[in-house]
Amino acid sequence: MIYLDNGATSLRKPPQVRYAVADAMTRCANPGRGGYGAAMAAAQTVYRCREAAAQLFDCDAEQVAFTSNCTHSLNIAIRTLVRPGAKVVVSGFEHNAVTRPLHALDAHLLVAGRKLFDWADTLESFEAALKTGVQAAIFTHVSNVFGYILPVERMAAMCRERGIPFIIDAAQSAGTLRVSLRSLGADFIAMPGHKGLLGPQGTGVLLCGRQPEPLLMGGTGSDSLNQKMPDFLPDRVEAGTVNVPGIAGLHAGLRYLNSVGTDRIHRNECIQARQCAEGLKKLGMRVFSGAHQAGTVSFIPGGDCEEAASVLARQGIAVRAGIHCAPLAHESAGTLETGTVRFSFGFDASPEQARRLLRAASKLPPFES
Amino acid sequence: MRVYYITFRSVTPAQRGEQVLQRAGVRCSLQRTPRWMEERGCGYCLRVRPDDIGACVQILRHSQIAFRKVYVQAEGEGVEEVKL
Repeated sequence: MIYLDNGATSLRKPPQVRYAVADAMTRCANPGRGGYGAAMAAAQTVYRCREAAAQLFDCDAEQVAFTSNCTHSLNIAIRTLVRPGAKVVVSGFEHNAVTRPLHALDAHLLVAGRKLFDWADTLESFEAALKTGVQAAIFTHVSNVFGYILPVERMAAMCRERGIPFIIDAAQSAGTLRVSLRSLGADFIAMPGHKGLLGPQGTGVLLCGRQPEPLLMGGTGSDSLNQKMPDFLPDRVEAGTVNVPGIAGLHAGLRYLNSVGTDRIHRNECIQARQCAEGLKKLGMRVFSGAHQAGTVSFIPGGDCEEAASVLARQGIAVRAGIHCAPLAHESAGTLETGTVRFSFGFDASPEQARRLLRAASKLPPFES
Repeated sequence: MRVYYITFRSVTPAQRGEQVLQRAGVRCSLQRTPRWMEERGCGYCLRVRPDDIGACVQILRHSQIAFRKVYVQAEGEGVEEVKL
């Protein structure tokens, strides 16, 4: 199988990830709960991963909180910053992991920047929205549907200048693009552990630039006489036993990224994605590509997108079709009715993968305008 | 022989403290805080030698690693909090 659904999860991981998971399952008890060897081994396993993440994302180890996925991280961040009914600006490319929690809070959404791959439009619309008295801003680093890399450094600077708290959704960028909590000055940055960071599913990270409000309450192994959640990080948002085997695997993933280099992975993904985008255009597909694009590309063939994905799947190519849990992004691109076929490269991106995708796609009918 | 204990509110800052001290060449060991030493329930502490306690406190403060208290225990005697 040629796996090109890394936007959903990185199925292929370096082998050391599964070795680390297995090792933790046999060696680690509950971290922060005991002083015997297996409990201390668990605490050390978790701390090493926390430290590796802090190094990669330029923050202190205590600012790294482990969650179960990016959605979990975003929910904590949103519940901390957004009051019910608040006015919030989001980009035109947000995932349901952002918009559904906001909907649940009955937030008034301002959608800023609808044009794909157009930094001028994104920045102009975003700045205009910030001037309307919003209480918070939430924006994705990279669109999960189109691979559009948003100008987050400048958007972050705009928020900082106006004192508007903000959250960055780094679901598609963590592990490939530079993400620095310190230089972005974000209140929160949310990310999954199982995509670009190459950890197992069931792992997520929330980088905390400020004190979060806990979503879950429970035991933390600290401050036990207090019936309120601890007022310090990371314990405040880590109620209950954390996923130690998952975190061990995530640490192995981080170490791999550190050894190979995230820039190199990003460059390679982009090269293969561009090759495929050009090839698909020649095959007559409608392809969404442009400047500021990561290793994720959407296209529309002739006929139904889901059917096209099935045709590709039968030829051993794994891609994702449909709305990709991001109706807002499809609305921005005008593809809400049709959906798209999305392919997303991973750390193992290769010319052979690109060739196989194009060969399989040549059997799809071309787009009819 | 006397032993010093530096207490922390949870395992993460204690681990960070342990790492900073070890990188500075100071020997210490991470362990659970004895119950009577931790008035807020559970916690972890670093056990350090008398010769190192001054440097330890200085390094932790310089690294902005928050600790709760410092205790000293002498052999055959009780434990008391010390202000450094």
